[in-house]
Amino acid sequence: MSSEERRIELLQGSLDLIVLRTLSTMGSLHAYAIATRLEHISDHSLDLNQGTLYPALVRLEQKGWIKGSWGKTENNREAKFYSITKAGGRALAEKVESWRRLAGLVDKLLLES
Amino acid sequence: MSKIRHLFNRLLASFRGRGAEADLAREIKAHLHFLEEKYVAKGMSPAEARFAAKRAFGNVDRTKELQRDERAFRWLTGWTMELRLGIRMLVRYPGLTVVGGLAMAMAITVGTGVFEVVKRATDPILPLPDGEGIVGLMYWNRAEDDRQTPNSYDFLRWREELTKVQDAGAFRLVERNFSIDGGVAEPVMVSQISPSAFRVTRVPPLLGRTLVEADESPGSPAVVVLGYGLWQTRFGGDKSVVGRTVRLGDTRATVAGVMPEGYAFPVDDNLWTPLRSEELSREPGHDALKVFGRLAPGATIREAQAEAALIAARAAAAFPDRYAQLTPQVLPYANSIIWLSPELLVHAGLQSINAFAVLLLIVICGNVALLMLTRTATREREILVRSALGATRGRILTQLLLEALLLAVLAVVLGLAATNTLSKAAVDLLRVGPERWPFWLNAGLSPATVGYAAALTLLAAIIVGVVPGLKVIGRGMADRLRESSAGAGGLRMGRVWTGLIVCQIAATVLFTAIAYVVHRQAVYLASVETVFPTAKYLSVRLEMEPVGAAGSVPALDRQRFAAVVSELERRLAVEGSVAGVTVADQLPLMASPNPRAIEVSGAIPADRSKRPKVASSTVGPNLFEVFQMPVLAGRTFDSRDENENANTIVVNNVFVDGILGGRNAIGQLIRYESVEPANDRRSPVKPGPWLEIIGVVRDLAPDAGAPLNLDNPVKPRLYHCLNGSQRSSPLYLAVHAKTDPQWLGPTLRRIAGEVSPMLQLHDILPLDHASNGDTRFWRVFANLFMAGSAIVLFLSLAGIYSVWRFRRRRTPFRRQGEQDSGVKPNSNRSEATLVF
Repeated sequence: MSSEERRIELLQGSLDLIVLRTLSTMGSLHAYAIATRLEHISDHSLDLNQGTLYPALVRLEQKGWIKGSWGKTENNREAKFYSITKAGGRALAEKVESWRRLAGLVDKLLLES
Repeated sequence: MSKIRHLFNRLLASFRGRGAEADLAREIKAHLHFLEEKYVAKGMSPAEARFAAKRAFGNVDRTKELQRDERAFRWLTGWTMELRLGIRMLVRYPGLTVVGGLAMAMAITVGTGVFEVVKRATDPILPLPDGEGIVGLMYWNRAEDDRQTPNSYDFLRWREELTKVQDAGAFRLVERNFSIDGGVAEPVMVSQISPSAFRVTRVPPLLGRTLVEADESPGSPAVVVLGYGLWQTRFGGDKSVVGRTVRLGDTRATVAGVMPEGYAFPVDDNLWTPLRSEELSREPGHDALKVFGRLAPGATIREAQAEAALIAARAAAAFPDRYAQLTPQVLPYANSIIWLSPELLVHAGLQSINAFAVLLLIVICGNVALLMLTRTATREREILVRSALGATRGRILTQLLLEALLLAVLAVVLGLAATNTLSKAAVDLLRVGPERWPFWLNAGLSPATVGYAAALTLLAAIIVGVVPGLKVIGRGMADRLRESSAGAGGLRMGRVWTGLIVCQIAATVLFTAIAYVVHRQAVYLASVETVFPTAKYLSVRLEMEPVGAAGSVPALDRQRFAAVVSELERRLAVEGSVAGVTVADQLPLMASPNPRAIEVSGAIPADRSKRPKVASSTVGPNLFEVFQMPVLAGRTFDSRDENENANTIVVNNVFVDGILGGRNAIGQLIRYESVEPANDRRSPVKPGPWLEIIGVVRDLAPDAGAPLNLDNPVKPRLYHCLNGSQRSSPLYLAVHAKTDPQWLGPTLRRIAGEVSPMLQLHDILPLDHASNGDTRFWRVFANLFMAGSAIVLFLSLAGIYSVWRFRRRRTPFRRQGEQDSGVKPNSNRSEATLVF
């Protein structure tokens, strides 16, 4: 299977879950670090332009699930760091539960067929 | 919760675009740097790394667009720019801003003013705690198809038997001389009211107490409760006023309390004394009382009405002649005082006034829209370029709507301020005189009116902004863009707009004509000059307080009144600042009652309907001397004419010219067609006695051919001499002052108080204020109409002129002329300047 064939397209709404989970696991990260983390986790199979993160980040920030603040990286470069809020933690738990139910249902349907 | 937060933050971000944009740009720049560093570390050249970073990131502009869509409501984000552009347009075209703004403000003033009046008439709201539960009780007389006020018998029955209405009370208004510690007496309206009124209205006193049930008992000491205004004006807001003694007519009463500012129940009252119910008749009589109460908890007006109907049925059984045709009515309190027919037609008629006001707004905004169209046309190139650069029609239309909305907002602020000021001025005007103005109709704007004004503003903005905008962005926009690129003109007037211009011209002609008529009348009013200096005369209405129970004034009272008035005249005449004093039933310049038909001795008897009609006054013998009315022939009155059987009269020269055909009037006999002033045409006529003309006096105003149909002072007039038996209350006293008559007021009150504490002085005013209420009203109306006409006229002319300029700009012939006159063709800025 070629690398092009291995690319995974994100399902609608799953990006929010992925970003929340990443921040929950890794703590405070800037957008580039989130994107890099996603690439590593997916073994470079996620079909995602890194710019796509920005609408998701502003959406999550406006919902009060993540909080962004400007800071410095190890290389002394300026970047906006995002961290998950308490409300974000609760939302993540709900989304994980919901995702698992959906995935279980889809698995079940696939196994039946 | 997060959804609401998201919505709120998006809304907030829509108005704070600049900071978020900068933040995003900074963040993306940092992101690209990280990517470049990664690719350089992998061995790429800087240029290759930059390219690879951009590829990995994706389209930066697209990312920004998506982030903006997510961050804010895009349709709101451009508002600051549009707003700035709108303000710039208002400043750039000051003529249009002023003319359009004023015109729209006038239309909004009319619209909101009418709405406020109609709302208060159809849906009055009592500004009292739980005011909607206060009701008034009255009768409907089915035989006469009219309202009928209840009497004390009804009130007492209702108070005892009604369970659906609690704290039923009643009031009547009487006029009394009010004085403090032997000071100058002044007539005031006193509300004799049941103490329950203060429970019904649920307003606590500011000082002391309200009236209580014990005050109703016949033997209880006399007490009064003061209104805030009276407390301020007569007691200087003295907080120790409770317990002080005041004099009401011939009664001394103790001040029990003071009510807070604004409290004026039952109508427009400032002084309350208890209505002593024990003294009221328990038999059906003619002592009219207004009855009120509060609906019992849970009771409805319908239930209260049904209960009152049962009581009325019992009354009808006991007194069929009186009650058989009467139906009791329980109404919201305000409706029981100012009655408005519940018929749908009446309400529809009132509401239709609103429709007319909206129509006026549409017409005026149509005018402004025409001006806007020409302005928009001068900006056609700019709009076409915007369109070519990708601005949608909706975006352009929104821009034009916002510009119009800005103008409309200016207009509504101005309009609401004008409505507020005018309503206060109107209420002040209406408060002058004997009429009372209910406290719930006080001036000011209700929240509903402000909401209505907002709706009118939006309507005005749509007409003024969107209608011309649709014309500009309508069909053929692409063609016009091409024509514009080729240097040719684009926008052309359609049939609708041409029709509008024709209407504009018609309106200009019509308003010019109306303005001419109104101006002519206003000039006439200003030119009416009397032969005497009205500003030097003080006028006052004299009345005598009734002694004992209310009812007919006996002959004794008349004699007493005549003696008091004579003494007052005598005392005033010797004052150093007084040039003359006289009395009359009607002073010069005052509105005349209905004229009476007369018959001239020796003249051919005319048909009854064609007989000449004259105004008449009964005057003191020295009136002509005091008012400096020159005697043109014969003599004026003297002691001989004060005899009841003298039958002598003096006439004015209009009478001589108009009725006697200019012949010698002295010795001529005339008589009234009927003895009674208001003779029923169906009844047999009994003519009055023959009256001999003994003198002719000059007219009070110089212009006998006055075009106004006002009650002006140049009608044919007869003067009778006032004799002792005619000196009945009320009479008007005129004092000719040597200086400013206003200074005579305190002297007059002092002397009147010394002559008799029972003598009431009303409406002490300079004669030019007191005399012609109709004329003053007409002047105010004429001035308002002139101002309105001037705005409409100016607007119409501005519209026509701007369209004329616009049309000239669009014709080749005009281009030649323009070049000749030195104006550059296609110069939008200079065009617009010329237009506005």
